[in-house]
Amino acid sequence: MTSDWVLFIACGAGVALLVWGLILFAVFRWRVRSSDDGGLPPQFSSNNVLEISWTLIPLALVIALFVFTYRVEARVEAVTPRPAVSVDVTGFRWGWTFAYAGGPTITGTALAPPQLVLPAGETTRISITSSDVNHAFWVPAFLFKRDAIPGLVTTFDLRPVETGTFQGHCAEFCGLQHALMGFTVRVVSPADYTAWLHGGHT
Amino acid sequence: MSATTAPRIEAESNDLLGWLTTTDHKRIGILYLTTSLAYFAVAGLLAIAIRTQLARPDNAVVTPEQYAQLFTLHGTAMIFLVVAPFALGLANFLIPLQIGAADMAFPRLNATSYWMFLFGGLTVFAGAATNEGAAGNGWTSYAPLSEIAISTGLGQDLWIVGIFLVSVATILTAINFVTTAFIYRAPGMTMWRIPIFTWEMIATSLLIFMAFPSLAADLELLFVDRNLGGHAFDPAYGGNALLWQHLFWFFGHPEVYVMILPYFGVVSEIIPVFSRKPIFGYTGLVLAAFAIAGLSMGVWAHHMFTSGAVDDPFFSAVSFLIAVPTGVKFFNWIATMWRGRIVLATPMLFCIGFLINFLLGGVTGVMIASPPIDFQAHQSYFIVAHMHYVLGGGSLFAIFAALFFWWPKMFGVKLDETLGKVCFWLLFVGFNVTFFPMHLSGLYGMARRVYTYPANGPLPELNMIATIGSYVMLLGVLVFVWDVIVSTRRHEPVPDDPWGGYSLEWATSSPPPEHNFDSLPPIHSERPVFDARHPELTPP
Amino acid sequence: MSVGVRLFLSSALFSIVIAVAYWYLSHEPTGTFLLGVMAFGLSFASGYMILAERDANLVGDKRDADPDAETGVLVGTYSLHSPLPLWSALSITCVLVGLVISPALSALGLVGGLVLGVFFILQSR
Repeated sequence: MTSDWVLFIACGAGVALLVWGLILFAVFRWRVRSSDDGGLPPQFSSNNVLEISWTLIPLALVIALFVFTYRVEARVEAVTPRPAVSVDVTGFRWGWTFAYAGGPTITGTALAPPQLVLPAGETTRISITSSDVNHAFWVPAFLFKRDAIPGLVTTFDLRPVETGTFQGHCAEFCGLQHALMGFTVRVVSPADYTAWLHGGHT
Repeated sequence: MSATTAPRIEAESNDLLGWLTTTDHKRIGILYLTTSLAYFAVAGLLAIAIRTQLARPDNAVVTPEQYAQLFTLHGTAMIFLVVAPFALGLANFLIPLQIGAADMAFPRLNATSYWMFLFGGLTVFAGAATNEGAAGNGWTSYAPLSEIAISTGLGQDLWIVGIFLVSVATILTAINFVTTAFIYRAPGMTMWRIPIFTWEMIATSLLIFMAFPSLAADLELLFVDRNLGGHAFDPAYGGNALLWQHLFWFFGHPEVYVMILPYFGVVSEIIPVFSRKPIFGYTGLVLAAFAIAGLSMGVWAHHMFTSGAVDDPFFSAVSFLIAVPTGVKFFNWIATMWRGRIVLATPMLFCIGFLINFLLGGVTGVMIASPPIDFQAHQSYFIVAHMHYVLGGGSLFAIFAALFFWWPKMFGVKLDETLGKVCFWLLFVGFNVTFFPMHLSGLYGMARRVYTYPANGPLPELNMIATIGSYVMLLGVLVFVWDVIVSTRRHEPVPDDPWGGYSLEWATSSPPPEHNFDSLPPIHSERPVFDARHPELTPP
Repeated sequence: MSVGVRLFLSSALFSIVIAVAYWYLSHEPTGTFLLGVMAFGLSFASGYMILAERDANLVGDKRDADPDAETGVLVGTYSLHSPLPLWSALSITCVLVGLVISPALSALGLVGGLVLGVFFILQSR
């Protein structure tokens, strides 16, 4: 997904610099000076070649961006048939429950935020829903979020590669403590994960 | 053009009762503008309160309850009571003048719309006087959060009723615009000679027809849920929480184009005058307006990419496509300035500011049309940055451009140029200092609609910078108010055409007489007043 | 076919295409319904306009429109004031806000609306 960001920031910056450049160039080059006599510049108002070009070239560009995006999204949203770990995530006002299949159920709120422990290099299947209003499970370090919607269960796979502890936030306004409805994700080596699973869940 | 036959009209009265019973499109337009600017002042102060709270983490300027009402009223007011109504008011004033008509097709309906808009807005704010305060669920008021079980206060119901009133008013106004533009054009004013602003208003009106009924339905469902035992959005009873979002965004996305197309029209009127050239690519601009309008009806669920429950590729593809006609417009505006003679008067400065700001908003818009990017950006301050660049950096700057450009025509008073330029620079610098850092705080992990944030990394500094920028913007707005006061006191008389304008509103006095025109110049192009000024250039 | 009618017709055709494409690609009922309503509405408006255009009198487009005709020639008396707009807006507001605050307010609004209706009929005679 980082490639998506890099490409779009690069294209965006390129387009922005080009168009800003044209605007500022026009303003500075042709601004009226004090020697202005009130006369008129050439009154041209159309050019078919130019107008067709500046329709078709951006069209080609956005089609290319879409194709790239489509492929990235297909990768991001791909779910494997046999994940190593499965967790049911439930958002509620105002905290999270992480229920591991064949494992512990961890609940926490703002006072004691819950921690989701995941093994690095392996795929975890997340099934997410809400027990009351809309919430969203957001881990900025993973460049990913998914809504938690009551009455709806959606699934996605996480396959973290780096170990570490990462902040998570609720990202859908859910009432007064929305701002405090955080959690953490701790990614550990598969061995440490197994130890955690069978050990004290701390 | 020596018509001196006085039309048989009843005289217009200048007292309070006259204004309360007016059906004159010019007065109704001024009422809309004044009211929307008053709501702007309120919504702006709400924003200052928000920024003051967010200046530091764990600040306690307001409580979480108050904060929720602050951002709800700020968003609701800016979208429903400021940006869109200002455009409707401006169009009310301008459309009949620009097409050479004496008034709108349905003057009484026109006035009814204005009063419904005023009362609708007051109803929304009246929520603040209830026990539990005003609505506090954001301008998007998602269900099930806004359902009665959780949002128990009357403020939410008053929000529903107020917005419903504003929605009906908007639809009625759109009917007036289209009918007037189709039926009441002066002889020689073919559809392909009407000003771009009027074309944009026709496209805007089409969007209003298609989008607002969806909002009305959503509001009605929520009202029934809250007050009559309905369960449309409640999964426990077979309802669907996503239904709110579909209905809302089917309205909500076209709504943002309702809030920008008129302002595309504004800059399309002002840039040519201050470049001393005709608008470049008239036909392309018109086609692009309708391409944008049409495509915008098909992108709504790009606000729901992170739900995991919508067809992301469809909405992503159409969202990308909208960038093409928008780009066409940008290139047309630049080509209008190209090899022109650019007069950097205040209206033109605001238009250039519009171009610079809106471009960044458009670029980030294309970025978030990509679902994987949106998975990070959605409901973060990156989105807040994007929306404010297009609505604040875009529409708001065009609002100021329109105010400086048409103020002489409306009031017979020219706003002071020096103060105007000071106002522009304060707003331009203040705006960018406020909102550019939000791209970064969003990417760094700051969520939206939060009354506080963790003191991680650069978040405290980025927020403090944004807050300082907001105070600079406030200063800019105060300079504008001062400009109005100073210029009104000075009251230099204003000729028919102080700027060297092109369209028909500049062919009559400033302000125009009750019946708009004593005579009309011949209409052979989209620039009849320019042609009358330069007969040597007009084709035979 | 005038420009305005062509505008509505092409919008109707576009909305039919997009509604069908959306259903084919997503099978999502809510959005399809909304797009379908939009397509229906625009098609209805286009059809009506095509029929109505035969009798229409869109001055600006007529080839023989007289640009030297006197300006401001109006038919009938042209009024710039009416009490109906403020009154009807107040009535509707009372009815709707009354649904939230108190039925008495809604009743007041309905009464006001009835009086307005009578006044309107009398004024239009």
